[in-house]
Amino acid sequence: MDIDDILASVDRGPGASLESAALDHQLLTRFWVAERAVSEVLPWPAPLMERIMDRMRIQIETIEDLAASSDTTLPTTANTHNPNLNLRLSILQTDLARSQYIVRSLLRARLAKITKYSMHYLVLLASRNKNSLASQTQSTASSQNPNQQPEDSVPDISGLTDLAPLSEPESSFLHAHQTLLAGHYAGSFMGAFPRQLRRLDDNAGGTSMIQGPELREVVFVRCLGAEVPVVVGGEEEQYGTGVTMRMGDVWVVRWEGVKGAWGRGEVELL
Amino acid sequence: MAFPLPRGVTASEIAFLAEMETVTIVPRQRLDGLELLGGPVEPLLPPRRASLPLWLALLLKRQRRANIIPPTWLHPEPLALILEVESQHQDYKNAFSPPPPLPGQPSILDRDALPSARPQYTPDGNRYYAAPPFLPQNTAQTMASSRDPPSLPFHWVEVGNLLLDAASDDLVDPDQIRRLLKDLREVRMAKMRSGVDVLDAAATGGGGIALTGVGSMELGEERGFVTGVVDGLRRIGSSKEQARREQMAEQRANGGYDGTQEDDEEEDYMEF
Repeated sequence: MDIDDILASVDRGPGASLESAALDHQLLTRFWVAERAVSEVLPWPAPLMERIMDRMRIQIETIEDLAASSDTTLPTTANTHNPNLNLRLSILQTDLARSQYIVRSLLRARLAKITKYSMHYLVLLASRNKNSLASQTQSTASSQNPNQQPEDSVPDISGLTDLAPLSEPESSFLHAHQTLLAGHYAGSFMGAFPRQLRRLDDNAGGTSMIQGPELREVVFVRCLGAEVPVVVGGEEEQYGTGVTMRMGDVWVVRWEGVKGAWGRGEVELL
Repeated sequence: MAFPLPRGVTASEIAFLAEMETVTIVPRQRLDGLELLGGPVEPLLPPRRASLPLWLALLLKRQRRANIIPPTWLHPEPLALILEVESQHQDYKNAFSPPPPLPGQPSILDRDALPSARPQYTPDGNRYYAAPPFLPQNTAQTMASSRDPPSLPFHWVEVGNLLLDAASDDLVDPDQIRRLLKDLREVRMAKMRSGVDVLDAAATGGGGIALTGVGSMELGEERGFVTGVVDGLRRIGSSKEQARREQMAEQRANGGYDGTQEDDEEEDYMEF
């Protein structure tokens, strides 16, 4: 053990004990499966992801140090000194690659959902953070604007602090992506439309142009709490409860019915 | 396109998850403990048994550095017993055999006991209940829990096949095991298909279909079909459901809603 190892072990801090590494890995795996299973973007677990990324950074350094030490020593002494070095290296690298795969798959699944429902999430973020009066006056003013462009319907989310369910890079990606997309639509075909038809969030005739994720789609869940009732009609507008799941049961139910229980950790998505 | 895969974990991702299951090995060489991102790995000291994640056990096995001790359920006798329950037992005509209990869940033998889930707490202060693949369901136990009847763990298809492929010399009578696994799979697949009739129950709000005891891979196979059918049924019934919601909202506004009247309609889920 050299000074770098000691420094590294100090740097980890109290939150990064060994049990918490195992627990965080289980939490990450469960969150990844959940994110893959539902159609909406789940709330970004910022503290968990920070711990995971920190640990990965440390692990990469450890692997680099190990690889460097095997290069510098003579092959013969390395073999006699530590015959398992290559094995250790390959195990560490496999482990790292497995964790990296989960994180990469998780992020890509989220990006796919964000780009698919980009307007929905932009409007969601904007509506929660602005008072409705201001956005209304803005939209009436812009509909009278003779130079109405599709870009104008992209809400500005630059000054927002509450970005749930997205992370900060995701929200800036979302805004940049939608602005580019609106510009492209304007250039390719929407510029030729009458100006009242140029908004991307048009809801004339009672039909909203914004597509959101379908929360009533069914998911496969395992009940982990003692007893979990399925809520009818989602968390906001509870119309009562339906069937009751018991511990260890696997059910096919609507996502909106178990979303609250998932948030409390009482069910697991499969 | 940021992500081409469909919703829900796919077969290869399920196999990836199954590789996180813990198995018991007998190492053939020494290896110091390792700090992996998935948690610490105990030092290997032959001939002492050690518990490792399956992917690591397979890596060591392929390099002939360890022998895998087959999980308790992956022997001909328990598999034959489970197959008999699945195919002959009256209670499980339309149901899968019960899965191994979660920690805190009473054994199948004492049905009257109440489950008491014991949560761990995450560093963020949330509750966490452990579940497969992070439970020791595939280790070789010698403890007194043999009182419980044998049961198939959540990742039985994947673990069974991975071990048959990579470590068949460590298994007892691998050919017999292979045959039994195939029989089990066919019996259970037939049950899954016969359950299609009740899919309508999941299409209503608050309703659902119980699939307790299902395996991860079996679930992955049926996922596309089940979600497709249920979503189709939901769309067909959406206007009816909307009308019922409005009616219920009205009743609630009048104070006459007691919250239970819907139950009788949704009780026709599969009896598992």
